[in-house]
Order: sequence, then C-alpha cells, then structure tokens
Amino acid sequence: MQELRCYAASGQLGYGIPKDSFNRGIKKKPHFIGADMGSIDVGPFHLGSGTMAPGKASAKRDLELLLRASRKSEIPLIIGSAGTAGGKPHLLDTVEMVREISSEHGFHFRLAVIHAEIEKNLIKSALTKGRIRPCGPVPDLTAHEVDRSVRIVAQMGTEPLISALGAGAGVVVAGRACDTSIFAAIPQMRGYDRGLFMHMAKIIECASICAEPGGRDPIMGYLYQDSFVLESQHPLRKCTAVSVAAHSLYEQADPYGFSEPGGILDLRNAQFEEIDEWRTKVWGAQWIPADKYTVKLEGACWVGVRCIVIGGVTDPIMIAQIDKIAEQVPKLVRELLSEEIPPETYHLTFRIYGFNGVTGPLMPRGTFVPQEVFIMVDVVAKDAETAKTVCGVAKQNLLHFGYPGRLATGGNLAFPFTPPEILVGDTYRFNVYHLMEVDDPLALFPIELHDI
Amino acid sequence: MKLRKLARVIRSKNAGPFLLTLDVLFPTIEAFERVKDSGVINVGTISKLYGVPPESIKIIPYPPGLAFKITMVRPIVSGDIVDTDVYGAQQHTPLLDLNVPLHRST
Repeated sequence: MQELRCYAASGQLGYGIPKDSFNRGIKKKPHFIGADMGSIDVGPFHLGSGTMAPGKASAKRDLELLLRASRKSEIPLIIGSAGTAGGKPHLLDTVEMVREISSEHGFHFRLAVIHAEIEKNLIKSALTKGRIRPCGPVPDLTAHEVDRSVRIVAQMGTEPLISALGAGAGVVVAGRACDTSIFAAIPQMRGYDRGLFMHMAKIIECASICAEPGGRDPIMGYLYQDSFVLESQHPLRKCTAVSVAAHSLYEQADPYGFSEPGGILDLRNAQFEEIDEWRTKVWGAQWIPADKYTVKLEGACWVGVRCIVIGGVTDPIMIAQIDKIAEQVPKLVRELLSEEIPPETYHLTFRIYGFNGVTGPLMPRGTFVPQEVFIMVDVVAKDAETAKTVCGVAKQNLLHFGYPGRLATGGNLAFPFTPPEILVGDTYRFNVYHLMEVDDPLALFPIELHDI
Repeated sequence: MKLRKLARVIRSKNAGPFLLTLDVLFPTIEAFERVKDSGVINVGTISKLYGVPPESIKIIPYPPGLAFKITMVRPIVSGDIVDTDVYGAQQHTPLLDLNVPLHRST
C-alpha cells in the first residue's frame, strides 16, 4: 500500500492557521487537507444561538488559506463541524464564506454540503422505540427535553463524507462531525486498516497539540499499511513517543479506548517509536466493530437572559467577611423584590474572584486573605428587563451593605466603568447529550452538491 | 515532595460537558513509578480534594504516556447557570501541592 499523506491544517479553524507551517506541509504534497472547525468545549451558547465562535475575518482568512491550497493542488478539502456547532445556521454561514472566497478568486469545484441538524420528530420517534440512551452521566432523554432544545445536532461518522467525496466533491463542508471522521474518510475509502487510521485521525484532529512543545501548527500524518508516522509542520515541535502517547489523554475520559460511531478504538496495544528527533511511528491500535451503529446527539435549550455587574473590593474588613456578605446580600435582594419579581423566576449568583469564584463551593479553601477581590453579580432571568432590574437592585444593595465593623461608608465597590451593569444576552444549557442508534449511517445527514 | 516538583504537566479539562478529567504527566519513568508506588493518587484523596463522591471518580495509570488520568463527574455541567469553569481548565490546582511520600503509606 502506498503512503497516504493526511494533512490536518487546524483543530480550531477560524483562529489563525500559522501560514509558514501550513505552506511547509503543502510542499510535501498531501493527498487531502482536513480541518476541524467545531467543538462542544466552548459551551452551549453557540449551539443554542446558532452563531460562530471565531470572528468572520479570521474564519474567512483560514478558509481562504485552505481553499487556495486545495484548489491549486487539486486535492480534496474537508471541513468538519462547520461554524463551531455544526447546526444549520453554522453550516450556512460557513458555506456563504466558501462561496464568497471562491467568487473572489474564481475557484471552480464541486462543493458538498452535509447537514447535521436533526429533526425533533425523528429524535422523538427514536425515543419511543428505545433507541436513545444517555452518553455518560446524563439523565434519560424525554420528549419534553427534545421539545425544549433550540437545536439538536448529531455527530456524523465517516460515511456521509465518503459519499460526498465519491460524488466528486472537491470541497466538503460538513455540519457537526466526529473529529475523527474528517481525517478517516479518505483512508477508509482507500482501504487502509481502520484501527490505524482511526488512531491517526484521533491524534491529528488536534493539529500539533501532540508534539512537544504542543501548538496549533498543522501536522502531517503519513499512513502506511501497518503503521503511521506523525510530523508537525513547525520545525520546533517534536512528535516524541511520549508526547504522542500522552495525547491519548487529552480531553478524554479514558486513554485506552474511544467510542466512535460503529465501533470502539482500542489503544491497549498501541506502540510508539521515535524514528528521528521530530517524528514518531505508531501502530497496534485495534478497531472493534460495535453491534449497533450509534451517533452522538448534542442539544441546547434556552434558559434565560443574563445581566452582570462587576466591581472590585480592597477593604480588608470587608474581604475578611466576604463569604457572609455574599450570602446576605442576595437574601436581601430576594426579599426586596419578592412581590414584583418572585425569587423562583431568576438566578442570582455572586461570583467572588480571589475567594472561590473559580473553585466554587465544593473544594476546600486555604486561609490566605487577598489584597483585592473581584465581584461579579450574575443574574439570569426570563427577559432582559427583569435581569437588569435584579442586577441593579443587587448592585445597589451590595454597594451600601452595612457589614459589621464597616469604616468605609462611601461605598463597598470600585466600578471600573459605567454602566457597571452589562447585558450579556441569551443563555443556554446543554440538555441533550445522548447516543442514538441508527440503521443507516447516511440517513440523518443529507448531502447537497453544488457546482461552483 | 510536592507533586508539582515531580510532574511535567498537571492539567484539567472537560471530557465532554459532563466529565472533568485531570492529567498528571511525568518527565521520566522514575518520577512516574515513584508516584505510582507511593499510592498517593487514589480515589479517597481525590474525593477529599475535590469534594466529590468517590463513586464518581475513576483513576487510570497510563504508562505509555508516563501519566495518570483522573476522571470525575462534573458537579455542575459545563456552561450551566452556576458553572464557574466552562472548559474545566482551572481545576487542577488542588493537585499541585499533593504531598508524595517516599514510600507507600500503609
């Protein structure tokens, strides 16, 4: 079997692909370019709101770099999880950018657009057939939660991408996709060993993070019949045996096994060997086909509108009792507003940075008393007006709260600017994170072909 | 000796929105073995440090990466209203000063 050069340009398309590194890899004549544009790590907002995480200018810059290289060398380009969350609005915004760039440069090719937003009725029907189960420590899915979701996407496997490429697509823009699918589709079409190329795909989808030192630069995966070799395209990033092996830990619950649509990637027998200072050879991973093909569903529901107030405290008398103040002021606010805005209709949280704003209430604390603390009053309510009202009342009562021993009667907070109330906007929560059994890996992911 | 003196990486991150995962990577086999032999990375200790129940914690030694993986159920789902760390990237701190004894404590 011939060497297959699989080029992973980015693990987070839209935040700036280092150009020199990218061009270094292009000179090595990859057989295809892939880039992952999405993630669930950024939280539920983008999935719920239908917006893209990176700014349009940087997203377009990255897309342009990839499209130009792909068209010039006439090699396929595969973009997965378009527009951050891979739902319909994300996909359409990404396709729009691809069209703009192509018309600016006069590129002509067959574009495949693969949808990954799933109809709620379809999910509810699968639910009644008992074909949906939680993915990890998640409650069982209910029809009510499906209805509450603003949007539900499914992570596609390799099959829709293979189908699109088989139909002659030069560029594939896919909605929500498994990170691995982007880099596994072409090796699968060419008949390479599935354990090997899934393992390779799992590593290169994060670009050069598996190197020492890790980074965002593109990475080349050289795939062979019985092994693959990894090479970062940044000259200082070395793929060592330990750094590559350790990458199996990254953002994963278990470094020895990964569940994918249609099977499990078993890494217990994976071997890593440095072939020189920069490159490591890997082999031994096994693909264990599953009895049933499942896709992961991700959904987010709207929970309210957020407004925050921020301010700082330097008074040591106040800081020494900040935990009690953070309990008493919200109580006061709830009492004051109880008739107009019942307390069960909003969430009021005091986040005290310098105290336990990050660690939260669970982790034990040290005894260190900081010189300053930063307070964020965080309100989530049913609409912007209510959130602003609660925020305002909380701010004023915190500003003038009479704690024991108070000397500083001018006010308890230093505001860095006015207005100190900041309307953050719509807020979402993950409410679907489940596995759905499907009979046909293609059925959920309709493919559109456009000749551009 | 404190864990931060022996490890080359001590990090935390989400493994999906419902799980938090902590990785401790060592620069040498000796350092990895020393911590492994000490038995200091155990469910009881992690439960105390993080205030989460032992049954929600899983610890996996990973010799190929000279590492330990500690995975736990997030007490609050990523991005939920009262979440404090959407990426789970700043939850590693309690591990830094974990004291590693020379020999396994009995």
